[in-house]
Amino acid sequence: MSERVVEIVGITKRFGGQVLAVDDLSFTVERGQICGLLGPNGAGKTTSLRILLGLVRADAGEARLFGQRVRPGSPLLGRVGALIEQAAFVPQLSGLRNLRLWWEAGGARFADADVDGALAVAGLGDAIHRKVKTYSQGMRQRLGLARVLLGRPEVLVLDEPTNGLDPQEMREIRLLLHRLADAGATILFSSHVLAEVEQVCTHAVVMDRGRLIASGAVAELIGAAGDVYIEVDDVTAARRVLEQLPAVIGVESESPGLAVTLRDGRRSDVVAALVGAGVGVETITARRRLEDAFVGLVAESR
Amino acid sequence: MIAAFRTELVKQVLRLRTFVVLAIVVLIPVIMTIANKANPPGGGERGGGPGEGLRRLTQETGLIMPAFALRLMSVFLLVIVVALFAGDAVAGDASWGNLRYLLVRPVKRARVIGSKLAVSVLLSWVAIVLVVVVALAAGVIAFGSSGLNVGFGFSQSRGELLGHLGLATVYVAWALTGVLAFSFMVSTMTDSPAGAISAGVGLYFLSQILDSITALGSIRYGLPTHYFDSWVDMFTRNHVGSDLARGALLQLGYILLFCGIAAWWFRRKDILS
Repeated sequence: MSERVVEIVGITKRFGGQVLAVDDLSFTVERGQICGLLGPNGAGKTTSLRILLGLVRADAGEARLFGQRVRPGSPLLGRVGALIEQAAFVPQLSGLRNLRLWWEAGGARFADADVDGALAVAGLGDAIHRKVKTYSQGMRQRLGLARVLLGRPEVLVLDEPTNGLDPQEMREIRLLLHRLADAGATILFSSHVLAEVEQVCTHAVVMDRGRLIASGAVAELIGAAGDVYIEVDDVTAARRVLEQLPAVIGVESESPGLAVTLRDGRRSDVVAALVGAGVGVETITARRRLEDAFVGLVAESR
Repeated sequence: MIAAFRTELVKQVLRLRTFVVLAIVVLIPVIMTIANKANPPGGGERGGGPGEGLRRLTQETGLIMPAFALRLMSVFLLVIVVALFAGDAVAGDASWGNLRYLLVRPVKRARVIGSKLAVSVLLSWVAIVLVVVVALAAGVIAFGSSGLNVGFGFSQSRGELLGHLGLATVYVAWALTGVLAFSFMVSTMTDSPAGAISAGVGLYFLSQILDSITALGSIRYGLPTHYFDSWVDMFTRNHVGSDLARGALLQLGYILLFCGIAAWWFRRKDILS
């Protein structure tokens, strides 16, 4: 059975007794998953992550890490690497000094931290010895990611981790997240860049106005509306087969393949029918992007 | 707690701001001594600002110079210094957004606030001691280190003067810790260091203004600054009065109150910065 690493259970948070930031939110992230937390501005993503990290107190419900309730300053947080909104440092001190002080504040020796790995991720070269106030936004963000990795965390909680990074740096971060997940880390991260979530995440949680509106595997969320794109070795034969299937609503040419709209059938049924008719299936993918699914889910919830 | 204290101390000591503040508190007693040596108070002068009586006594012995420096600087500059160290302690980290990272390290909130309070107290007391030490060195060089004997039966031996000086240093440091505690309390409630610093300085001046309204009667005895200058009598009248004890106890009450509120507030605070 897969281990639930992050559990958000019925969390509600009001600020000043008035503004409802999170409303009875529940979701789980299992070990090894890369879970994207999506939602429009003001959806409650950052507040939810802060509750998970013990920075904000929930009015109701609780957040759990590794099955245990998270409280402010909980030792469980030592197994978590967190980047919340912008990476922040003491501006008058160097990048390296910031990393060192932050690490040693937890009572550990800097020699025990994964300094080399973290500095490799930061990629700041000699600038690591410069004062942080001279850094660009992207350099700070990379230093923030380096700090996240110092403790070889089992869980990464990242709020907009690619903020301020250029496309090349964003790509490197995506690859890094994949590597960390392959090594067994569990990652929960929020992002406004839906293409990025689609590329990186195995799972997603969609929020709007503090409430959960959908959660599950990214492929399921995208494929929920049933549009698929198929490439086959014989387009004419495939079209004939597909048009006879009750689960298929429509078939359109989309060179070099076919765009197929399904009523409620499974993709595996379509593939089975084509293969059974002797048509070779080269590719079958969801035709919708996560962005389409996201917009649809948010619109439905309102 | 030690790790949190050590890292906080390193963080504050490495800041240019700390060096500038400590340089100022070193420089001013030197300037005061040079000015006092170059322009001794004339016999016909009357009135003058705070510490004028002490200033006249500095001509007799350099051992009075630290008392004069303390008196003059505790009116304004040292108030700002302690408010700065305390007001910036929590709010400074919050304004940089660094506080949340310290808490998720994780460092327990009690340790964060305890280490920050301890470091701000330490730096403030170091500043006060620096004023005394530098003024003492400069005063002895400029005016010698003899005892005090101004006639009319008023005299203090060198030993008495040094004893009084030690007691005055401790008393001023303790009295200013009340201002520090207030700034620190506000620092836990805001993300604006300037606001917390201003609050400490504002409390001091408000209390001074209220204390000058004699019509307030016995209410004035409870104001945080009412006994601030009670230590001066040790030098001008060779008298260790009971007001010192009252002042110390009054500050203890304020320090416990402000630090208690700060701890209570910070434990429950949502960290949104």
